[in-house]
Amino acid sequence: MKVKYLIEKIEGEAELEFDFKNGLVDNVNIYFPFYRGIEEILKNRDAMDALVITPRVCGICNHAHLIASVRAIENGLNKAGINIDLTQKAISLREFTLSCEIVQSHFKWFYLVALPQLLNLDRMKCPDNYILKASWASTNIVKALAIFSGQWPHASYAVPGGVSCDPTYEDIIQAESLVDEVIRFVENELIGMNIDEYHKRKEISNIKGDMAIMFGMLDKHNMKIKGKSYDRFAVFGEHPIFQTGQYNKKYSNDIDFSHIEEHPQHNSKAKSVTYKDMCYEVGPLARAIMTKNDFMLNLHDKYKDSVLTRVYARLDETIKLLVHIKSLLANLNVKELSCTLANMPKALEADGVGMVEAARGSLIHQSIIKDGKIQKYNIITPTQWNLSSGTQKEAGIAAQAIKGSVSIEEATFIFRTFDVCSVCTTH
Amino acid sequence: MARSTKLKILWLQSITCNGNTHSFFSHPNFMTLMQKFEVIYHPILDSKYSLDNVINKKLTCDILVLEGAFRETGMQKADREIYEIAKSYAKKAKHVITVGNCSTFGGVFRLYDPEYIGGFCFNDETPNEAYKLFKRKLISLPGCPAHPRWIGNLLSMILSQRQILLDNFHRPIEVYGYSAHAGCPRNEYFEWKVDSKNYGHKEGCLFYEYGCQAPYTHANCNKILWNEVSSKTRVGTPCFGCTEPYFPKKDLWHTNTLMGIPATMPMGVPRRAYLTITGIAKSFSIKRLNEPIIKYKK
Repeated sequence: MKVKYLIEKIEGEAELEFDFKNGLVDNVNIYFPFYRGIEEILKNRDAMDALVITPRVCGICNHAHLIASVRAIENGLNKAGINIDLTQKAISLREFTLSCEIVQSHFKWFYLVALPQLLNLDRMKCPDNYILKASWASTNIVKALAIFSGQWPHASYAVPGGVSCDPTYEDIIQAESLVDEVIRFVENELIGMNIDEYHKRKEISNIKGDMAIMFGMLDKHNMKIKGKSYDRFAVFGEHPIFQTGQYNKKYSNDIDFSHIEEHPQHNSKAKSVTYKDMCYEVGPLARAIMTKNDFMLNLHDKYKDSVLTRVYARLDETIKLLVHIKSLLANLNVKELSCTLANMPKALEADGVGMVEAARGSLIHQSIIKDGKIQKYNIITPTQWNLSSGTQKEAGIAAQAIKGSVSIEEATFIFRTFDVCSVCTTH
Repeated sequence: MARSTKLKILWLQSITCNGNTHSFFSHPNFMTLMQKFEVIYHPILDSKYSLDNVINKKLTCDILVLEGAFRETGMQKADREIYEIAKSYAKKAKHVITVGNCSTFGGVFRLYDPEYIGGFCFNDETPNEAYKLFKRKLISLPGCPAHPRWIGNLLSMILSQRQILLDNFHRPIEVYGYSAHAGCPRNEYFEWKVDSKNYGHKEGCLFYEYGCQAPYTHANCNKILWNEVSSKTRVGTPCFGCTEPYFPKKDLWHTNTLMGIPATMPMGVPRRAYLTITGIAKSFSIKRLNEPIIKYKK
């Protein structure tokens, strides 16, 4: 029996076409209906225009698009023999702002998507308190981000050679105090303990706060065993707290861009994407697996790539990033140069790739520049990895995870554990 | 159940990135504000009705908030043209607010197919068919995205029945009557014509080389600040003119010039006046403005 379902509030919408057999989901096709043509809009524009246009792919991960697009230009410059050497200050500021955006997105997923959807499964209404928490936490972390980027969403402060801002120590203090506030929120509300205690805990059941509510509900709905896909992961973007590479029964730290391939999909405006002809999961779970932290590996041994592991990875990453960005600010040396490239070379010919870890996983921009103008631009988003219907050989990552669901409600909840973003998927 | 007497808001999206939704969500008093209204539909909040209800049932709303660019055909949700849905709600609503540059003028997404894609009531600066129907209730909040305070305070002003003066594009004058240049900390460099020489410095004006459009862009960004803390020009990024009908222009990081002078003059300034003042300012060299503001010890 085929059932069509319009899934909404996923940064846009998508259509899921379920195939039920004996009361269980046997297959699902995922259609993203609308294409906005960002890559075509960029054609024949000045190379730098990408830094302004590409963030407009997505209202929730716009900053990741900015960083991917500046990395693509810089990679092209390097390959063209123009050496780009970023200062540690510029590297740290970019990492800081990018990490703040990831944290913002994770808070929203937790309080606006995951908790309300779990409550829905139990026919319970979402308390306003969760919206308040999502708003407070995300507002404060993007405020810290905006001190350096000027605004969020849609900043363009990362420029080839560094960043456009020139912060003072006083700016850094202000950012630190905001991060401290957000950490206090995490300790008081999200995990119900201080972060040191959190790091020492042995079991998920030791965690308190809203995370405990979440794990209680996941347990009740058997999410320790549901939502498993191929247990295959990839991380492409460089970030000091994540390890790049793939995991498919064994680890590999190679990243070869030439193995990444996009495929058009019937009836959908989104392309699927494969690495060496296989679908890979990207995102917080992939990053946690590749980075091999003990607690996470233990959890993965027990529950594989189930919903529980995937959700835990996202929340744990939120905490790790907050700790990391505190140290970035503590070590920031404002005396270093913000930007080392005086001007973009005239009539630039370049072909570069920029890869970055965004909230939902690896984001890739490729720009081919001729005579200073963009000749071709290609964007591969994290959600293309996770949310395609699949290839001829296999179902997509989320599609596989949904198989065996007992109801549309359960299937869509599992779908949402990938943190769905419709606008990114089609761009 | 008691009938709510709160004003009803319906937030409808067309061709968008959700940037205005997320911008507004960063309003520091988001919840307190939203609780003053009955939210019929919202793209990220749990709301009373589903999108399918919004599209296929005849609901009513007092305030219709539109986000994203429109095309007459080819942008469907639940098998219905979203443009038609927007028009049908706009007919009955008391207020129609277009948030963001896309829903106001067409914005970034208009560039993909300018013949068919535009704002709800304007295509760039030209009023379209829908403008005739809805001009009496239209309020435009262009920006890419619109500032959270523009959206929040407009909703509150509607609620408290304050006077809302509008300009010729229906933008509230209390917000868009200022130039983005007003309040920019680089103003001294503008006055004395000291250019920024490269990115990453507190000093220097971005108007001459780096494409800054703040002097002729209608917005109070540098008065009220973004995320309560900063603005593009404060972090050394030029203003890209995102509240204007021609956004995004080509060569965003370069100043168009006419015989070596910026081609577009600051808002309301005659070219002759600008040239006179520039000539005088440039004949002096102000030592302080040619040095770093802060000299850290090694």
